[in-house]
Amino acid sequence: MKVLRRLGVDVGFPEDQTCCGQIAFNGGFRSHAADVAKHFLDVFENEEQVVVPSGSCASMIKVYYRELFEDDPETLERAQAVGEKTRELSDYIVNVVGTSDVGAASEGLVTYHDACHLLRELRIKEAPRDLIGGVRGIELQEMEDSNACCGFGGLFSVKFPEISTAILDEKLKNIAESGAGAVVANDCGCLMHIRGAMERRGMNVRAMHIAELLAEDGTDG
Amino acid sequence: MAPTPEEHPNKAAFLLRVRSALGRTEPIVHMPDHPSLKSNAMRQQEKVRTIVARNEARRSPTLDRLARTAAAASWNVRRAGDAEEAASIVAEIAQQSGVKNLVRSAEDVFKRVNIDTALRSVGVSPAILASGRSRSRGALRDMAFRADMGVTGVSYAIAETASCAVIPRKGVARLASLAPPRLILLIEPEQVLETLDDFFAVTRLNRMQARGRATNYFNFISGPSRTADIEQTLTIGVHGPGEVHMVILG
Amino acid sequence: MAEVKSAEFKKASGRALRDEKLQHALEHVMEHFVGARANIIESDFGDESWESMRTRAAAIKQSTLEHLDYYLDMVDKSVRRNGGHVYFADDAAQANAIVLDIAKRNGVKTVIKSKSMVSEEMGVNHILEREGIEPVETDLGEYIIQLAGETPFHIIAPAMHKTRQEVSSLFQEWLKTAPTQDIKRLCVYARDALREKFAAADMGISGANFVVAETGTVCLVTNEGNGRMTTSAPRIHVVLAGMEKIVPAIEDLALFLRLLPRSATGQRITSYNTFVGGPRAPSDEDGPEEFHLVFVDNGRLNLLRDEVMREALRCIRCGACLNHCPVYQKIGGHAYGWVYSGPIGAVVTPPMTNMKVARDLPYASTLCGTCKDVCPVKIDIPRLLLHLRHKVAEGALGERSTTWMERLFVGQWHGAMRNRRALEGKANLGRLLTRPFARGGKVRKLPFAPMVSGWTASRDFPAPAPKSFARLWREELAQDNVHPNGMEQR
Ligand code: SF4
Repeated sequence: MKVLRRLGVDVGFPEDQTCCGQIAFNGGFRSHAADVAKHFLDVFENEEQVVVPSGSCASMIKVYYRELFEDDPETLERAQAVGEKTRELSDYIVNVVGTSDVGAASEGLVTYHDACHLLRELRIKEAPRDLIGGVRGIELQEMEDSNACCGFGGLFSVKFPEISTAILDEKLKNIAESGAGAVVANDCGCLMHIRGAMERRGMNVRAMHIAELLAEDGTDG
Repeated sequence: MAPTPEEHPNKAAFLLRVRSALGRTEPIVHMPDHPSLKSNAMRQQEKVRTIVARNEARRSPTLDRLARTAAAASWNVRRAGDAEEAASIVAEIAQQSGVKNLVRSAEDVFKRVNIDTALRSVGVSPAILASGRSRSRGALRDMAFRADMGVTGVSYAIAETASCAVIPRKGVARLASLAPPRLILLIEPEQVLETLDDFFAVTRLNRMQARGRATNYFNFISGPSRTADIEQTLTIGVHGPGEVHMVILG
Repeated sequence: MAEVKSAEFKKASGRALRDEKLQHALEHVMEHFVGARANIIESDFGDESWESMRTRAAAIKQSTLEHLDYYLDMVDKSVRRNGGHVYFADDAAQANAIVLDIAKRNGVKTVIKSKSMVSEEMGVNHILEREGIEPVETDLGEYIIQLAGETPFHIIAPAMHKTRQEVSSLFQEWLKTAPTQDIKRLCVYARDALREKFAAADMGISGANFVVAETGTVCLVTNEGNGRMTTSAPRIHVVLAGMEKIVPAIEDLALFLRLLPRSATGQRITSYNTFVGGPRAPSDEDGPEEFHLVFVDNGRLNLLRDEVMREALRCIRCGACLNHCPVYQKIGGHAYGWVYSGPIGAVVTPPMTNMKVARDLPYASTLCGTCKDVCPVKIDIPRLLLHLRHKVAEGALGERSTTWMERLFVGQWHGAMRNRRALEGKANLGRLLTRPFARGGKVRKLPFAPMVSGWTASRDFPAPAPKSFARLWREELAQDNVHPNGMEQR
């Protein structure tokens, strides 16, 4: 929010918002998901642009709503309209606002994790990297297999925690080996997952949402 | 020719279930739209004419390409200026490998490339692997499995993948290029095609022109027999030849 | 039919994770396959033309499926014209009976087999053995698996989980060979043992990578040469083919032979491709006198019938989705509990076998989407998994099978998410409930919540923020003197 307002974007946070419905959709509970998704459409339909800070939510809205409302042409039309004006945060800043410099400043080495849906559903790969590159004092250090899944998968991590953790171990290894002081991602799920494990293991690396990095102005740490 | 085998009694019911799973009640009468199915013999002939012309025009780079892809696929590649040189290369390879029991097929290329004389001059006497009058199925099989080197020609070679198309027929036993642990294939320039597409277009035309008397069997040999089934370690020479030589005339 | 053990997924995957040797093998093999594939695609085609090849292949296979009855009929006519026999088996039992009948009619004692996944579905080895006929797998990996009495670990590398020591002791036991650490030596042992079988066998059984409708040609893709042996040495050749294996025209093979080996092993082409459409011609020097092609349904109709699932039948069994799957890379193939493993196994096993028994499989994926990107026929695996999850959660009675816990959770979530006030209420309750377990903003253990306790075994779960974002937003706006809807008050 802070970042967008810094860029002069007129931002609002419709207070009635809840969730895009992905959890239920991924669980197979489509009727529940559809209800919640409709609520999402009610809330956001009249906005000019919807900016979503999480790759998987954005792909739910932009990609999977089509599937969810396959048999409901009326809602499908609404969903498509909202989908079209929905942009993921980094994509929005770089490709709509048209800048990769949001005036942020920090310091150190940062590595970037490609969140699966962001990369493979929305094909967003460069925008976040551009933004990280645009932060003064920050250097981007790519990790090995940055595009490999972190093992979260929402429900998957709850149903199969052992497998999920084993996949996560690879990611943590690659993060550590990159030598970066922080890992940035654009997906709240991945971040919760990665952050949780790093804290449990006492790893000295921060897991940051890209917005957190962009909000830094060099004064705090 | 033997009579056409009968239809399986479950066929009709099976197809009916497939059809209804697809949401149809009637069989399809018109051939679905598939470009390479629809082209008739005349159009196919036209297509192949173009392919042949292109291959003729580009022969020399295509032979180079074949030599390159073959080397990359672990063939030992030798190029011979003429038939005589080819024959002596075969003899040289046989001698170097210490071959005792060499079998070859009986096909036209050996009329031009006289390997028999060359081989005898280095003390190897080649046997022809063909059934003949007295040789039974089992005897042919035994002979093939006993041999330590096989030499045959090819019908086509495909530069794209270093694939040698071997079409068994009278005089060309399947086992000649399969059973012995070492193999030499002789390739003549006009047998070489650029791509897999070229090969299958030509094959389709050949079948159309053979009017149901085409062979039911052919093989691509594209390198040595290999496996990585134990610890993902590449090992050459399992059931087929582990040592493969390609002698290109030209 | 081969037993379906997919209900054991969770337990079996845990075992695999704790097996260090296996973890080592998995890492090694997967890395190799992934790297080799990427290299050859880049050097030969580049992303763009690879993409258009995938698109074309997907379209050809999909169209073949949409007209499957037509093309099955076409194959049948072509093969019979070539002098071969064609059969249509509804299930494993029928297919087994057909094979057994051919064998018995011909007094067959030994059968050599080149790799066939359908034969694994059928469990045909077991059926033959019961009748006193000896089946011998001739693909080295399959042979090892057969001696060990196991099922394939990977579609194209069936014995990748076995070390050379294990193979050596298997050979010692069964072939009476001397122990050795030399892999080359082990291959020679197997080769010699199998040579005897090739020479003695009366019948060869193979699978089919492709079946060409217009010519009746079965195409086999192998590296070892066992496919050629199986189709050349014995007197009878039987092909077992899933009914989806068809491509319409012989010229289509150029495309598929480019896609398959590159996707599978990263090879430009495999060492051998065998093309066979009938018995030997009278003038041929050698080759089988009888040729039998058996088409098998065995649950494939369930995929075909469902318009969403239908595309799963485009699969050409290259194994790329396995090699690239983060889940498969960790647990390998056996946990999936049936013949097919990895992402495509998770897709086809439930509909082909039993939705309830295999209910865990559609959930055994992070939905990361890598499988869909590497699939040479562009099967949208994540979408199909989601479709299956929908069936498990809300499908017909015979398919539905969620636990009460999941239903309770979703019900609660649903109530909360339709309405912000309810959400905040629930969140406040969450804060209250988790507070005793939270330290420094982290929840280390949630003993009363069985659904998430597995999570907290290895990761901290973020404690709910003391104030919701919406509340912070309101407070900040109040300071900035802006209206909550974002319109500045002037
Ligand atoms: S689903 Fe696609 S990637 Fe997986 S095995 Fe089948 S063809 Fe290969």
